[in-house]
Amino acid sequence: MRGTFSIQVQLLALLYLFLYAPIAYVIYVSFQKDSVWPFPPDFTLEHYADLLHLRDFHAALVNSLTIGIGTGLLSALLATIAAIGVLRYASRWRGLVAAAYLAPLFIAHLLIGIASLMFNKQLLGLPGNIGSAILANTTYATAFAFLVVLAQLAKHDWRLDEAAMVFGAPPLRAFWSVTLPLIWPSVLGAVIVSFLLAFNNLEVTFYQVGARPTLPTLAWGELRHGVSEELYALASLINAAIFLFLGALYVLLRTGALRLDYRD
Amino acid sequence: MTEAVLRLEGVTKRFGTVVAADSVDIEIGREFFSLLGPSGSGKTTMLRIIAGLEVPDLGNVRIEGRDVTRQPPYRRGVGMVFQDFLLFPHKTVAENIVFPLRMQGVPPAGRAEALGWITDLVHLKGLEGRFPHQLSGGQKQRVALARGLVSRPKLLLLDEPLANLDRELRKEMEVEIRRFQLELKIPFVYVTHNQEEALTMSDRMAIMRDGRILQVGGKLDLYHHPDLAFVAGFLGAPNVFEGKVTGLADGLAIIDWQGYPLQARAKGGLAVGQRAVCFVKSEKIELFAGTGQGRVDGVLRDAIFKGQYADYLVHLAGAREVTVSGPPRAELFAPGRPVSLSWSAEDGDAFPAGG
Ligand SMILES: Nc1ncnc2c1ncn2[C@@H]1O[C@H](COP(=O)(O)OP(=O)(O)O)[C@@H](O)[C@H]1O
Ligand SMILES: [Mg+2]
Repeated sequence: MRGTFSIQVQLLALLYLFLYAPIAYVIYVSFQKDSVWPFPPDFTLEHYADLLHLRDFHAALVNSLTIGIGTGLLSALLATIAAIGVLRYASRWRGLVAAAYLAPLFIAHLLIGIASLMFNKQLLGLPGNIGSAILANTTYATAFAFLVVLAQLAKHDWRLDEAAMVFGAPPLRAFWSVTLPLIWPSVLGAVIVSFLLAFNNLEVTFYQVGARPTLPTLAWGELRHGVSEELYALASLINAAIFLFLGALYVLLRTGALRLDYRD
Repeated sequence: MTEAVLRLEGVTKRFGTVVAADSVDIEIGREFFSLLGPSGSGKTTMLRIIAGLEVPDLGNVRIEGRDVTRQPPYRRGVGMVFQDFLLFPHKTVAENIVFPLRMQGVPPAGRAEALGWITDLVHLKGLEGRFPHQLSGGQKQRVALARGLVSRPKLLLLDEPLANLDRELRKEMEVEIRRFQLELKIPFVYVTHNQEEALTMSDRMAIMRDGRILQVGGKLDLYHHPDLAFVAGFLGAPNVFEGKVTGLADGLAIIDWQGYPLQARAKGGLAVGQRAVCFVKSEKIELFAGTGQGRVDGVLRDAIFKGQYADYLVHLAGAREVTVSGPPRAELFAPGRPVSLSWSAEDGDAFPAGG
């Protein structure tokens, strides 16, 4: 038979179908008048217009971005410090210390949410707000960020930092002018991963923000009235933003405007 | 040696059970000083202690008279050339070179001037804008040297800087590095396991083994007057004869080797009846065509012509082969011909065996 594809290509196609078909369907539906049975296609942009008029949408977007960015920066910072400590200071306890950073990966997010709510309220007497949502999300996001940073930092040649110190750089200066320029891709990766986790998080954030809306809590609330068309539009927009961001990053790397490493 | 720029006093450093530096005392002035020793003898550790990257367990490091033992590296004002260059991969050649000046707060005009001066000195003109991965091994070496020298440090430490270069380039760089030292008059502490490098460049040198300095001195002194069997064996690829001491007189020993009474300077408390090793450098042996009274007889296996001189490989009794270096002589380019050797007693060094 002519035009057959190899088994690898077929498997790959199946895999991508499995991964992306639901997302593609959501995007497709977001442009359809009838979201229950959107066939034959009848294109419209009205769901997007509705979304903009949805009560709390703006506040939810701002809150989600704030939580995402705050968690992204804080987690990457903590994870970088932790990874440097684990890698640079030889100790019998190194494995245990590393495991302790990863432990939050094994705790259900719902538990983290409830636990941090109770801890803040009953023990510290703190009200839940966006700030405490950032802190609560940071607990598990740091674990993911730690994995991301550790993977690249393990390959870093610390003798370069020693060289910088011999040539007159105090430790912070050496970090700033030698370590960071070489490891920033992994730090950026950690920021992105923890941003996405916190931005999309429902279970942890839900218990912290109370009545303040975020995109996931808004969607969750809307769901009680059934899946409304605006939710398709919302999901599509978030996906589009993420793909645009990753696409831009890819182009910058391909054109050499950004460099990930300096090996020959 | 004039006044000491660097002084190590009883410096000791242990890593677990390994003693990487064992009560080391050295004084180094405005000179080219080499630390020569086999791999694992503690040379790198010594440089790291001087640079401040390692704190000794015991003892003191003084630079220009000041005790810097507990000072961090960035306050010591020394330069260093690392074995694997360790250029900053994200910085250009120019940025790499002026890095020490930037850390010292030298303004841009001063940095540009110094960059011009040093790229001239080390022949790097035109490469300032390249990144390290765009350089050849020899060029990286020059950048590393430039970075080490640009701030005119109190001291330049060099850790086997030529180990990764091919032979030809190494020969060229040996001459260059020596020239930099003579021109700038900065003390160089040069670490190597290659005796040729040390002998070519140094004023003085120290032989290291197991974290200990075995002997320090001018290079000619060390070469011609080794105090220890290890030093005698390490420098100049000498021929070795082992035998029993049959007589001692006026500082000379007579050693019985395969029935021949060999003569050499007696060292290390040699006693009659003891077994001894006798070292004789190949260029100190005189080679005669044919056998002769009072000489060691052998058979010429081959003669290797090296241009200015020749290496004669001579088969002796007991399946022993020795190398004799001397002027090329036509009558000796005849493998299989009987020959005999001798050397004057002062040119051999005998030490107790197994020491
Ligand atoms: N950081 C370290 N930890 C453990 N052992 C070390 C360390 N640095 C050096 N050593 C040991 O100290 C000894 C001397 O090492 P080094 O100074 O690197 O020797 P060299 O440079 O002469 O080859 C070696 O036995 C080496 O294994
Ligand atoms: Mg070494």
